[in-house]
Amino acid sequence: MTDVHWLTAGEIGSAYVARRLSPVELTQSLLNRISVLDPQLNAFIRVDVEAALNAARDAEKDIVAGRARGPLHGVPVGIKDIIDVAGLPTTCHSKILLDNIAAEDAAVISRLRAAGVILLGKLSLHEFATGGPSFDLPFPPARNPWNIAHHPGGSSSGSGAALAAGLVPLALGTDTGGSVRNPAAACGIVGLKPTYGLVSRRGVFPLAFTLDHIGPMARCVGDAALLLDAIAGHDARDPGSVPVSCSRFGADLERGARGLRIGFVRHFHETDLPADPEVAAALDDVFRVFTQEGAEVRTITLPPLRELSAVQRLIMQAESWAIHASWLRERPGDYARATRRKLMIGAFHSAADYVHAQQHRLQMIAAVDDAFRDADVLLTANAMDPACRIDDEDALARTYPRQARSPFNLTGHPAIALMCGLTRTGLPLSAQLVGRAHDEVTLLRAAAAYERASGWHRQRPPI
Amino acid sequence: MPVKANESELDVLARARKIGLAKAVHEFPDDVIAAAQAAARTRSALPETNDPADEPWPPMRMRTPS
Repeated sequence: MTDVHWLTAGEIGSAYVARRLSPVELTQSLLNRISVLDPQLNAFIRVDVEAALNAARDAEKDIVAGRARGPLHGVPVGIKDIIDVAGLPTTCHSKILLDNIAAEDAAVISRLRAAGVILLGKLSLHEFATGGPSFDLPFPPARNPWNIAHHPGGSSSGSGAALAAGLVPLALGTDTGGSVRNPAAACGIVGLKPTYGLVSRRGVFPLAFTLDHIGPMARCVGDAALLLDAIAGHDARDPGSVPVSCSRFGADLERGARGLRIGFVRHFHETDLPADPEVAAALDDVFRVFTQEGAEVRTITLPPLRELSAVQRLIMQAESWAIHASWLRERPGDYARATRRKLMIGAFHSAADYVHAQQHRLQMIAAVDDAFRDADVLLTANAMDPACRIDDEDALARTYPRQARSPFNLTGHPAIALMCGLTRTGLPLSAQLVGRAHDEVTLLRAAAAYERASGWHRQRPPI
Repeated sequence: MPVKANESELDVLARARKIGLAKAVHEFPDDVIAAAQAAARTRSALPETNDPADEPWPPMRMRTPS
């Protein structure tokens, strides 16, 4: 079997069952690929070779003995280094936490171990899941496999880069203002931010308590659904966790788009924050594909993007300042410049500012809920621009806020990023679909229908 | 009171010292000023406040007795 590094998790499971591939062969192959490519990409902070191979051998024995635990048994996964894995450092890509050894697994890691996955290592990120690509940190920033001079998006940069480069078939990211969906956009992969509270945050270093989500990242929608199946579920030790029953999230992946009502939020990228022409054209093409597939696409209006984003930003700034205030007072020089600047913003907000933002939030959640009276799924822009060069500070500062992701951290609705084109210069473009709260099944159905009809997920970077 | 966009840089730095950021003011004054300006930009983009009695999210909830 050739090119095992491009197999999806679903294909890997089938290959194991058919004895065409073994967990040890796959893990060794990925470790070899990582050793060759990662020195250029910097996707990994730590590759856990020995533990990965041990887990692969255990999985192989179990599968051969007929004790397969499920579809992800023996499938390698990369973990953003803000998520605790017992016995390993959780550095958050920061000097501040270089020696922070996790005492126990995060809830999502416990669930992944129960599913039998192989943990390949810890993936790089923007420091503390904020900041930006920084060159003044203990680890270099991840690079975009489509063009290593370009930014891979963030903050789950390593997760996006590792998936796009075929270093892992699955990865976990976290998303407070779009940090799963931004690297998904820049790297041409799938990134899912589930409904707030569906996936436990326990054991994940917080950026902003009321906005933080943990999400699956993959190279196709079906794999994102499988990973969500494994990590979702109520956790009494996470106060934000919601006690809902979790069905099989990929139950409707094959149903197609016929009969779905898609609400196209055009004003986000047409008037609120006018998108790059290539992005706008790609979104029009998503509209065309859904129409062709039998969906009923109508225009939907939400509150202005500028206001949604500002409310999310103020809450994020206030909550992240509360978390980092003590370190910023005592060790400001141990942060990267970009992180320091972002985390100090909240120091200049008042208590009333925070409460006012939370008042607006309640109204904005209601506005998005109301939009679902006329639509089953919303279609919006993701990033308004293709990924810029990683060393262009001005372009990063200009393009980073030009996005439509953060509104759905504010409202908690599930949202998925999907590749929807390539620029003339060969960089990925991405669209975002948004679902009703706790209706990931319909969201994934729409995403899978688009993916199947468009075929963009089969594109690979020239690395 | 939060800083205003037109507040002088010296005032911003004085306020930052009061909230315990003396070390940052000493070592990274440009970053402190940039943060204060960003805070002002965020506030200026917020929607007008409607009713001051609106409930903020999330409403207080008691644990259910087990």
